[in-house]
Amino acid sequence: NSLSSNSLIGISPEDEKYYNTASEFIKCKDGSKKISRNQLNDDYCDCADGSDEPGTSACPNGRFYCPNAGHIPVVLFSSRVNDGICDCCDGSDEYDGKIKCQNTCWEAGKAARDKLTKKIATFQEGVTLRKKEIGLGMLAFAKDEAELSKIKSEEKVLKGLVQQLKERKEQIEKAEEKVRLEKEKEEKLNEVKNESDQEKTEDEEKAESGKEKHDDTTHDDVIGNLDDSSEQGVEEVDSKIEHVDGAPYNEAEPPAKEDNEEDIVASESGSEHEKEHETTELENTEGLSKEELGRLVASRWTGGKSDHKPEESDHKPEESDDVKDIDHVDEIPKDVDKDVNEEDYDGYASEFDENDHKYDENYANDHKYDENDADEHVDDDFTAGDHEDSGSYRSDSDDESVESDVTALGNPSWLEKIQITVKNILHAVNLFQTPLNISDAAQVRKEYDESSAKLSKIQSRISSLSEKLKLDFGPEKEFYSLYDRCFETKQNKYVYKVCPYKKATQEEGHMTTRLGQWEKFEDSYKVMVFSSGDKCWNGPDRSLKVKLRCGLKNEVTDVDEPSRCEYVALLSTPGVCREEKLKELQDKLDALNRQPPKHDEL
Amino acid sequence: WKKDEFRNCNQTPFCNRARSRKPNSCSLIATDVEISDGDLVAKLIPKTPPQTDQASTNSSNQEDGVEDLVQKPLILRVSAYQDGILRVKIDEDQTLNPPKKRFEVPSVIESDFLDKKLWLQRFSEVKIDGDSSIVVYLADGYEGVLRKDPFEIFVRESNGGNRVISVNSHGLFDFEQLRVKKDGDSWEENFRSHTDTRPYGPQSISFDVSFYDADFVYGIPEHATSLALKPTRGPGIEFSEPYRLFNLDVFEYLHESPFGLYGSIPFMLSHGKAWGTSGFFWLNAAEMQIDVLGDGWDAGESRLSLPSDQKRIDTLWMSEAGIIDAFFFVGPGPKDVVRQYVSVTGMPAMPQHFATAYHQCRWNYRDEEDVYHVDSKFDEHDIPYDVLWLDIEHTDGKKYFTWDRMLFPHPEEMQNKLAGKGRHMVTIVDPHIKREDSYYIHKEASDKGHYVKDATGKDYDGWCWPGSSSYLDMLSPEVREWWAEKFSNKNYVGSTPSLYIWNDMNEPSVFNGPEVTMPRDALHVGGVEHRELHNAYGYYFHMGTDGGLVKRGEGKDRPFVLSRAFFAGSQRYGAVWTGDNTAEWEQLRVSVPMVLAMGLTGITFSGADIGGFFGNPEPELLVRWYQLGAYYPFFRGHAHHDTKRREPWLFGERNTELMRDAIRTRYMLLPYFYTLFREANTTGVPVMRPLWMEFPSDEAAFSNDEAFMVGNSILVQGVYSEKTKQTSVYLPGEQNWYDMKTGTTYKGGMIHKLEVSDEGVPAFQRAGTIIPRKDRYRRSSTQMVNDPYTLVIALNSSQSAEGELYVDDGKTFEFQRGAYIHRRFIYSDGKLTSINMAPSDNDRRLYSTECVVERIILLGHPSRPKSALVEPSNNEVDIEMGPLRVQRSRVVSVLTIRKPNVRISDDWTIQIL
Repeated sequence: NSLSSNSLIGISPEDEKYYNTASEFIKCKDGSKKISRNQLNDDYCDCADGSDEPGTSACPNGRFYCPNAGHIPVVLFSSRVNDGICDCCDGSDEYDGKIKCQNTCWEAGKAARDKLTKKIATFQEGVTLRKKEIGLGMLAFAKDEAELSKIKSEEKVLKGLVQQLKERKEQIEKAEEKVRLEKEKEEKLNEVKNESDQEKTEDEEKAESGKEKHDDTTHDDVIGNLDDSSEQGVEEVDSKIEHVDGAPYNEAEPPAKEDNEEDIVASESGSEHEKEHETTELENTEGLSKEELGRLVASRWTGGKSDHKPEESDHKPEESDDVKDIDHVDEIPKDVDKDVNEEDYDGYASEFDENDHKYDENYANDHKYDENDADEHVDDDFTAGDHEDSGSYRSDSDDESVESDVTALGNPSWLEKIQITVKNILHAVNLFQTPLNISDAAQVRKEYDESSAKLSKIQSRISSLSEKLKLDFGPEKEFYSLYDRCFETKQNKYVYKVCPYKKATQEEGHMTTRLGQWEKFEDSYKVMVFSSGDKCWNGPDRSLKVKLRCGLKNEVTDVDEPSRCEYVALLSTPGVCREEKLKELQDKLDALNRQPPKHDEL
Repeated sequence: WKKDEFRNCNQTPFCNRARSRKPNSCSLIATDVEISDGDLVAKLIPKTPPQTDQASTNSSNQEDGVEDLVQKPLILRVSAYQDGILRVKIDEDQTLNPPKKRFEVPSVIESDFLDKKLWLQRFSEVKIDGDSSIVVYLADGYEGVLRKDPFEIFVRESNGGNRVISVNSHGLFDFEQLRVKKDGDSWEENFRSHTDTRPYGPQSISFDVSFYDADFVYGIPEHATSLALKPTRGPGIEFSEPYRLFNLDVFEYLHESPFGLYGSIPFMLSHGKAWGTSGFFWLNAAEMQIDVLGDGWDAGESRLSLPSDQKRIDTLWMSEAGIIDAFFFVGPGPKDVVRQYVSVTGMPAMPQHFATAYHQCRWNYRDEEDVYHVDSKFDEHDIPYDVLWLDIEHTDGKKYFTWDRMLFPHPEEMQNKLAGKGRHMVTIVDPHIKREDSYYIHKEASDKGHYVKDATGKDYDGWCWPGSSSYLDMLSPEVREWWAEKFSNKNYVGSTPSLYIWNDMNEPSVFNGPEVTMPRDALHVGGVEHRELHNAYGYYFHMGTDGGLVKRGEGKDRPFVLSRAFFAGSQRYGAVWTGDNTAEWEQLRVSVPMVLAMGLTGITFSGADIGGFFGNPEPELLVRWYQLGAYYPFFRGHAHHDTKRREPWLFGERNTELMRDAIRTRYMLLPYFYTLFREANTTGVPVMRPLWMEFPSDEAAFSNDEAFMVGNSILVQGVYSEKTKQTSVYLPGEQNWYDMKTGTTYKGGMIHKLEVSDEGVPAFQRAGTIIPRKDRYRRSSTQMVNDPYTLVIALNSSQSAEGELYVDDGKTFEFQRGAYIHRRFIYSDGKLTSINMAPSDNDRRLYSTECVVERIILLGHPSRPKSALVEPSNNEVDIEMGPLRVQRSRVVSVLTIRKPNVRISDDWTIQIL
């Protein structure tokens, strides 16, 4: 009473029970309909969900299961069934006799197993490395946290000390002022006699205070600049007003008008970013040579600068030299080549590899970085071994110097020392002693200056450290080590530099283009996003997405610009060699190995 | 849009002159009327000949200063052709030794057409309004009339019946004859930094054409404007530029403008409720400007008493050069006029089946990896596509027929891999040739003198993508022959038989030329000035490339060549698209009248870039564009390289699903489309039609260009604004319409307010029609060849319906020998019959298929029968309630004959029991 084997074609073993019932009727899986058993795989679509036609192409939403003995089973879209193209390595998707498919499962299975085995090996090592990274990351993070909390409390103490010193300093100054006034009084008696001397001193003082003021300005750039510009602004307004006085009303604001004109022209030409360069040319194509005119008009479409040679116009995609030469098809052992199915196998293989993320794939141009490519890197790693990362280095941020400074400050005895010193000084200074001990006063001042300098250093360290600790180093801090590091890769004339948590750039000679500032992780830590890079002619602001793949060393490869000014790079890192994924791969391999290694010599 | 870079009518002396002429300023009369070689021949001379008339007829006796003013006689030749076509030629008298032979556009008129000439034997002379007129027979019910004084030509119904079309009824005719330059003559024209030497002086032609009983005029593409042409002159009209026909590469064209774009077809149709349709075609390839004159434009200045009981649309036609070679088409139906027009200019080519499916293009798919990636993504998302395109960047330095070997190291392997999935590729080949000594095309072309020359006789050197470039003189048949050789798989290194061609920039586009094109005084073979043939340059290039592919396939492989520039007759050489449009809703809207206008003028295989070439469409616009574009005859997604990637899977799952569904809709309807392409191939009737073509007496349809017909069975209403929840659809005619998604019935002859979902643009099947479909989806159309059919029968009020199916091998020219299946399905009295439409003995012998009908859907059946009887197999099959379209989302129950499994190549009947 069971169904003939033919009517079970395309059904997965788990589903066989569902279809192979004793009942006369079968329900569509979505429950929408009941069909008689002879409507199963009768090459006519009865169920809206395609569940009555697992073995034919009749339903647009159907799925076909190929057992692929010797390899792993695959589920195909119904559109592949009997379409004249061999999709399953066992050829079971083509059974209408129109073409004959070779069974390539044995070879393909072997290749897949080998590949998977290699991949697993990488993952195994990668998982260990990742654990190490996590350990180090956790530790370092905790250390940072500890440091932060420590220097925060130090800051508190130091702040107190500085306050004390400040107060004392002010007291001293008050006392000194008092002394000075008294002295003045005394000296008034000798006024006439000493007049010239005194004037000289005052001048010197003035000059000195002026100098101090100037120093302040340079110290605090922002404010200084603001001041400057506002001053300039006032000056400009003044001159404008003068202008208005002497000119007709409608010419009151010539600079603004000019701007407008420029804007209009620029927006007409669609080249806002090439404003100065193009306005003049556009306004006046009459004066151009034939060649200049040709280049100019061409540049409307190409977006290139009109003085570039067209064939080298800057929109031309960069070729990625080393990766390009690697053809994944070559990975298949040569003995498969004699099969008619090489290409089909290829299609099959990619389907197999992408199976798990086939339906949730949202990224453009992912293919490039699919497992095949990841494997390439993995393979390289095997030979390269577990040595120092190449092509990466610490980012040359100024944090580094601060850090070392602060680390010196971080010496436990330092705060105590300073506390004692201050205590001593404070004690030593006798405010009621007149005149004040000059060396005591000087020491207070010196100590105040030093302490407040230290305080500001500590505060900047606190802010940089808390900024850092706010960053997302991954759920297990596995990306901690990427902080303060940059990775470089050279592709043709460009050097790409990716500094996680900071920025990414493209360098050509001395020209640096910012591809983006660090923004975030995306897609559950599989992608790093750098955004808001330099503006792009006629395109969006530049941005870079770095896709992470499991690898034994940190290495950026294969930067690409799939869409104008939207870059994509690949970073292999142990950070994403997750245990779950390893388990998944091992399960996959187990499944592969469970398949009877039938070598069908057809 | 760079308005300043293009000339308007005021900056164009001939246009300005013609426009400022007053009605009745033509003083020519027809004399010396005779029949010669089966034609009616006459001379046109000024009514009051100047004193020097004698002298001027003797060209050797020229007198200074006077000669220029003398109007030498013109020769008028009127001929009649089968099917109601009157042809009028007017040219200078060659016996008077004009300075040069004016240009007649070669290789446009079908040679078959010339064989259809009716050899006129006699004419009769009658008085019309007291004026002497010559009458000749044209067709049953029609006659051609030449009024002698004032000279006027028209077609009317026999025996003094209603007028159909006339020329020079308003006396605006003017014909500037060639002159020999003498000292002191300055004929140069300057535009911006460019100088046109105009060695023959002004040589323009203008005249008025009147269409009678016309409510609207249409045609004369290419303009981004409404299908029904708005008046350009007359009381209260601000729209003051005439419709310009001048092939130009217009950067970011506007969506509502009479400005000339990439192609030109000087063919206008009129349509009105009272008469029907008529047409006027002027075979002339020089710059043309055409005014549609609004009511009251002449404010009573007309000298002739034109019939006042006939509604009329007057037009003014102006051309810079050439001769008059004009054709009057009497109709009277819209399809008649189109048939008459293509009998002159050629039938639309029958495309290969794959070319009617979906094309994926982008400037640029950059390298082989990118190609494989895009290809695999279509498979991953189970979205069918047939053709992947490569734009200019695939070449080595914009040298066509070469590959950038860094990016495309293995082009053959790449094409073969795609071909393994039944897919094809297209590469671009443009007419500008890089002036680089090591480039073999350039070397050969310059050695052989195959380039267009500048006014001084040197190879013209202009600027285009490769930089300094020269342009092949495709007017020369010898050059076209040479060019054709370049496409063989041997000569085109890296090409395979699955590679086809795209001709772009063939207006021609010259970045540093006047108006971004070639100078008018550049010289072609035989001393033809570029001004005389400009609008046909792209046509000859398209023709040459098409010839190359025919040659490559040894005449066994139908070519596919997409061209941007076009001219009358381009339909013979392949597809055309509407050029560089923009990702805006208004451009989606205007794409419909643009494609319709091309269809009316012969070019049925056309479409607009899905999504808009420039700019980034919002996902909603992109989806709507796919939903509408799935019904364009030519269905291709394309984008500028500055735009974001926009392949159908990049905008989230829902949008992917919607775009997949739109593309699948096209694949489902491919059997219907292919049948329509065959109809176009045999009758000229376009695949995509204005409503009035199917409903010529329904006035509400005359100016509707938001909706259109695909064939005679499907009406599509576009959705042209964002977040549309509701739209109005006018459904013409008296019969019902069935919503193609829901099966819901709507009454014809009224406007319906419809809810619009994101799932598709409204589309309806007309009651009384049968549509063949294939409801299985594949990677590409190639794999659908053996798949079974679904027939959708939409019953009309008398419970009957009819439809057709045409099938051939989809690839070769064997169909021309009768290797095809052509069936007519007729449903009446509860019985569906399949009848052979092909010559009785050809189908089985030359082309056969095992394909069966797996499903027949009946819409509008009043009862619920349970079974049907298939004859001659005497097999009873079930009738059940099934979905209108097999898919996940909606389940609409419609009467479905389950698995009749009759072969489409057989005769059979299915009787509802």
